[in-house]
Amino acid sequence: MKGVWAVFYRELMFYRRRGVRTVLSSVIYPALFLLAFGYGIGKGARVSGMSYITFLIPGLITMSSMNQAYGISVEVNVSRYYFKIFEEYLLAPIGRWEIMAGEVLYGMGKGLLPVLFLLGYSAFAGIGLRITPLFLLCLFLHLLAFALLGFIIAMAVESHADQAALSSFVMVPMIFLSDTFYPIDKMPLLARYLGYFSPLTYSTKLIRGTLLPGSHLFSFKYLLLMVVIILALLAVAVVLVERAEA
Amino acid sequence: MEIEVQNLRKRFGEVEALRGISFGVFPGEVFAFLGPNGAGKTTTIKILTGLIREFQGEILYRGEPFSPRILSFKRVIGVVPQHNNVDRDLTVEENLKVHCYLHGLWGKKQRERIREVLELTGLQGHLRRKADHLSGGMKRRLIIGRALLHEPQILFLDEPTVGLDPAVRRSMWDLIRGINVLKGCTVFLTTHYIEEADMLAQRVVILDAGRVVAQGRPQELKEALGRYTLEIYHRDRIEEEFFQSREEALERMRSLDVPAKVREVNLEDVFLSLTGRRIRV
Repeated sequence: MKGVWAVFYRELMFYRRRGVRTVLSSVIYPALFLLAFGYGIGKGARVSGMSYITFLIPGLITMSSMNQAYGISVEVNVSRYYFKIFEEYLLAPIGRWEIMAGEVLYGMGKGLLPVLFLLGYSAFAGIGLRITPLFLLCLFLHLLAFALLGFIIAMAVESHADQAALSSFVMVPMIFLSDTFYPIDKMPLLARYLGYFSPLTYSTKLIRGTLLPGSHLFSFKYLLLMVVIILALLAVAVVLVERAEA
Repeated sequence: MEIEVQNLRKRFGEVEALRGISFGVFPGEVFAFLGPNGAGKTTTIKILTGLIREFQGEILYRGEPFSPRILSFKRVIGVVPQHNNVDRDLTVEENLKVHCYLHGLWGKKQRERIREVLELTGLQGHLRRKADHLSGGMKRRLIIGRALLHEPQILFLDEPTVGLDPAVRRSMWDLIRGINVLKGCTVFLTTHYIEEADMLAQRVVILDAGRVVAQGRPQELKEALGRYTLEIYHRDRIEEEFFQSREEALERMRSLDVPAKVREVNLEDVFLSLTGRRIRV
């Protein structure tokens, strides 16, 4: 476990150095989306029997926390290929899985910040959300899945240009086609099917389902699916980190 | 033997980086790999430290077969890479702490090791400084100190003074000698600086294009050529002749009708005589 702490400590210190900048960047996106979608075009609208802002908040939670957790892909990539800090981990007497665990833990921690901001905002704005152990479990699975995905991308994609392309072609469409801003059932058929391939669709359904009182969106089927997705991502991440050379 | 290497080979696609090299490192010595860029020095270090996992050949650490997947060998080695891979956003202390945690050093032991390493590298008083604000020489010292935190028995230094000015380079040599003598640490260094290998190493392997072209004590390798080199400056090339005495070399120089210079034989002459090329290109 010493490796997990070492990697996590390094990332924590790095995060602390960036201070206000990083905290602001993690809340600025959800704040802007809230303003544009929630109070701009969505003011007074109702979706699935609830006010649009109530529907939107869980979607913003999953979208923004996904961005932050997945964002470790760039940081790990930079520390590996440009600053060669990753080499220090590879030289240490620790299991390769510990490197992965430390980075993923950091990604999950980063992903928590916008969640706290949005939950705080909801409490302030009087949007009744319920924080239950089941919600925390779903949030944990959501953050784990996307931090693992970020780590995989950092291991597999060397160049920044390719990372940016991946973000444009995969992550951005995922944000819009995954039940975050509007119900997936209301989308055109092709978009709906694309949405079904996105893990964000299921984590959003789970988180919205557990956060909104009286909602019937939660399903153990989705929970199981998330566990399966995480196991698959975990297997890929372990293989990639085991193969990593300096 | 501390390290024994037999017939080590490594290929990167079409490029054969190591073509079956064999050598041994004795405990407590300063051992140098000397050769031009692309000779295979860094590849060898990366294999010996487990950073490259796929290779052919046999490696023994203290008589035990080496595998990059065995973690125990990583506890006895320290590595100073060629590039400055300090975490520039972190302070000196935080950089050292990360390494301590990676090696399971906590609490009082951690504080003691950090203090000792700072004294050894002369970085006391810089503990709270951001690594990015250190000079090039100080960054190299920090990396060397970091590699010594867990008290390794073998220290690998890959081009430890590359890019440093001559004065800083000399202070680094003193530091490396100190680590070898005071700590009893076996030092394995790679360099393309002739003086560095000459000044520091008790034994040298001269490497060229993935092959060992010579190995032995620097003095023995040089004496095999002679003691003095006469550099003859022709219009289109520099020719070198070797002599056992200075007088013979001077007499030959006086007989020439082109400029020439007499100096002591160095390891570059050894490399040139074996490969027909100079190390410094």
